Parts: sequence; C-alpha cells; structure tokens
Amino acid sequence: MTSPRLDLGHGIGLRTTHFARFMAEAPLVDWIEAVTENFMAPGGRPIAVLEKVRAEVPVVLHGVSLAIGSVDPIPERYLAELSALVRRVEPALVSDHLCWGTHRGQYLHDLLPLPYTEESLAHVTSRVQAVQERLGRQLLLENPSSYVAFKDSTMTEWEFLAELTRRSGCGVLLDVNNVYVSAHNFGFDPLEYLRGIPVDRVGYFHLAGHSDKGKYLLDSHDHAVPVGVWDLYREALRRFGRVPSLVEWDDAIPPLEEVVAESRRAAAIETEELPQVRRLAS
Amino acid sequence: MTLAETQALFQEVLTSSVPVAPERIDACFAGTPDLPAVERVAIYADMYRWRLVEALRETFPNLVRFLGDETFAGLAGDYLRRHPSEHHDVGQVGRHLAAFLREFPDPERPDLADLAELEWARQEVFFAPPAEPVGSAVLAGLDAEAISRTGLVLSPALQVLVLAHAATPLWRRLEDGEPPDPPSPDPGPVAVWRSGFDVFHAALPHDEAAALEAARSGDSLATICAAFDDREDPATAAHGALSSWLDEGWIVSVGPGPPVSSSDREC
Repeated sequence: MTSPRLDLGHGIGLRTTHFARFMAEAPLVDWIEAVTENFMAPGGRPIAVLEKVRAEVPVVLHGVSLAIGSVDPIPERYLAELSALVRRVEPALVSDHLCWGTHRGQYLHDLLPLPYTEESLAHVTSRVQAVQERLGRQLLLENPSSYVAFKDSTMTEWEFLAELTRRSGCGVLLDVNNVYVSAHNFGFDPLEYLRGIPVDRVGYFHLAGHSDKGKYLLDSHDHAVPVGVWDLYREALRRFGRVPSLVEWDDAIPPLEEVVAESRRAAAIETEELPQVRRLAS
Repeated sequence: MTLAETQALFQEVLTSSVPVAPERIDACFAGTPDLPAVERVAIYADMYRWRLVEALRETFPNLVRFLGDETFAGLAGDYLRRHPSEHHDVGQVGRHLAAFLREFPDPERPDLADLAELEWARQEVFFAPPAEPVGSAVLAGLDAEAISRTGLVLSPALQVLVLAHAATPLWRRLEDGEPPDPPSPDPGPVAVWRSGFDVFHAALPHDEAAALEAARSGDSLATICAAFDDREDPATAAHGALSSWLDEGWIVSVGPGPPVSSSDREC
C-alpha cells in the first residue's frame, strides 16, 4: 500500500496554546499536524479548531497510542475512533510511531522501543497491514527516540524500519531529531541511519528540540531546533530530496510566531540545499 | 526472551512499586559503561510517572491547588497503582479518582471526592458531542395533549451531579486563589454544562434536578413539570425552570415522549 510523496511544504503542530490564533486567522504555514488522540473527542473546542484549520490547509493526523508493536490486540475502540476521525478530517497523511505502549490492557502512554528481532518484525508487519487495510490507506511510522536497547536485537533500527516498509508497504515519518538523539544515546553514526532508510518511503520529516541530561539526550520538544539537528536535516535533504517538514514544540511552547519561524527556517534550508527544486512561490 | 516476555518485564519496570532486580534488567536490556541498563530503563519509569501525574494535574487543577504539588503527586501515585490507564487518551486516566477518594477519604476533608467529581464532570462536558439547542419558542403554544405526549432531549454537554458536600464554593475559592473553607456537608445537585466552548456549573434545587432526571429518562413534559408539585406555585416554577433550560441551551430537541398515562397532566 505505497503512496507517492506529497508536496506539502513546511508545517507545524497544532497545539492548545495556539488555538485562539488558529481560530482567528489562517495558518501561517503550509500545513498542520494534529496529534490524533487529542482530537478524537466528538465535541468541544479541539475538534472545532481542527476542522477550521482543515478547511484552510492540509492536515496530517499523527497518533501516539496505536502501539503498533504491542503484543496486546489493537483495541477495536481505538481503531473505530481513529477510522471515524480519518473520515471526518480526510487528512493528507496518517502516521504513528514504531513502538509499543500497551500491555495486558494497560496503556503506558509512552513510545517504548522494540527489540529489533525477526519476531518483532513479523508481528509489526502483520499489524501494519491490518491497520492499513482497516483505514484503506498507507500508514507512516516514525522512528522513536530511544534510551535503551535490547540484548536480543539482531538488526539495527534502520534495518528493521527498511525491511518493515518493504514487507508492509508502510511509509516512514523520519524524525531527524530522534535520529540525532538515539545516535547520541547509543553511539551510532546518524548518517549511517539515514543511508539505511529507503529514499522513496520517507513521507515527511519531524524536526524538534531536545535536552542534554548529561549522560544522555532527552527528546523533550521544549526548545528550538538545535544546530546539530539542523545540520542533520541538511544531510537528510541531500539524501531524500524535497520532503515535507514539520516542527514539533510540545513543552515550554513559545508564541506562534516563534514556532512558525522554525518552520520557515526549515523551508529556507531546503532552498539552500535543493535550489533546483525551489518552489515557484519563493 | 519473547516479545511478550520483554514487554511484560518492561511494564513491570515502569509500574511496579517494588524495584525490579537489576540482574533481571541486565538480562534483557543493553547498557553502556557510562549509562548502565538499570539507569536507562529508569528514564522511562520516571517519564511514565511524570506523564500520568501531569495528565491528572491538568484534569484536577483545583484539587492540586488544595493539596499542593507534593501531596497531589503522592495521591496520584496511590491512585495509579490501583487504577492504571485503560484508555488511549491519557486525559481519561482520572476517570476513577473521585470514586477512589470516596473509597479512601481524607477524614478531615471528605469533600475532596466531590471536588474531584466536579472537576471530572467539567472535563467530560468540555469534550461532549456537540448538539444544537432548540429555540426558546419551541414549547410555546403546546396544548395539554401535546404536553402529555411530548418529551425533551437534553444536551449531551449537560450533566447533573449529586454531591455530598458543597463543592461548588470550594471550587470557586480555589479557582480564585483563596484559602478553602472547612468542609460543608450540604448534599445537593449540581448542573455542569458547556455553552459554546466554555464550561459552567451551578447548584440546582432538588426538584429541578428531579425534573432534569425525568427529562433525561424520556418522561413527558407533564411528568417533568410534576417534579415541581411541592412548590407554592408549581406551574410558575416549572415554567421558570424550562425557560432557563432553554436559555442555557440544555434542550436540544423536543419530540414524542412516552405513551400517555393517566398520571400525565397539564402544567
């Protein structure tokens, strides 16, 4: 169930802090990403804001609770609500994470890493296929930021992700900051990660900030995008070409203009790195 | 280890009140000399607790103001061990907190369960499905027969709570940053509703709450109005209540009620 890469441009996340601005004016960016679970409730302000934004620019739904790697069955309630939201919003893309997060009926509300084994690969492949069949569209999975690995792993994360896309037809939401954070936390070469991801499977990039905790980097989304992540973004553009980008900022969220400025910086860097595909509008 | 065994161990690391033995962690997880596996999984355990306590703090801001951050975090820890999250929306994790506070009450502040119930209802109402209120003229001109046949559909964004203490003044004082009064045993109903994107609540007379319950049950207008029979002027009281329900947008449809019974009558 592959899909061609969409030319969405550069977007930001839809956050409660900025709801009033989004209700009062058109978005200042090319597209908007909404955290799926925050908009599943049938009423109230969030879904009203999302529908207003959706009428103005493309929207991508980005989930955090699908738990594609959990051994628990995916709850029917979740799939039903996800399907209903997808029908209601008609998003440009639907994404979630390569992770697990439920066990024995309990939600752990985290993007927990998987052991990269053949057992995990077969398990996740079958679940991706089931979800794509249910939604009738391609699912994109985001590489997580990780702090621990497993002794049983027999392949790298990028090998796992590449093979998963081949077997299931899913796309990749390549989080450049997560590659940077995990590379630091595990000591691998982030460029090797980029080289391991199939070019034609990357649907969009995430860009975000992180925190230096001394012994490790934490994927905190509470800063502007750091220089190191911008540098890795340049490398990603050189490998993957023109790819939509999305700036995430989830904690200590600044005024809207500051987040938008990060998105415009992503657009400017894209133009610097890929001048031959500069957009007509620029 | 199988994938299921790995996830069971990881879940235990995150949620157990007893630390998992380091050798079990080292058998499964890979660490480095500068950051051993035990410290690496602890990053996740800390984030698990932080994320869920933050979700509870967002849902119960005035309970947090009353208890203070540290005491609330302790309460949240006790609560989460008994009621872990079972919903994909982390905002739903506080669903059982009021019941938990009733089961394990603070002897000096038994009203905290009511405060939690009020704050939970405010969240539920905020996210309730939308429904367009009917206009204020919709009940005008109904004759006696129509009143005995007509029922009301109330907004899904309206809840009626029956609280054991006066939680609404406590909520108000905390919201305004004022010190709380002593608990006040004052059982009574409270309406919680959404208008536009704003949530409101207000204490209700018992008979008006009974009338709303009758409406929610699908009873006829005649039965709804009968809830005010003990008033000095029942018809005026019923008319006043129905008018205020219309004004607040609590009525979203007027339609056929139950079969006519001999007890139905004009109001």
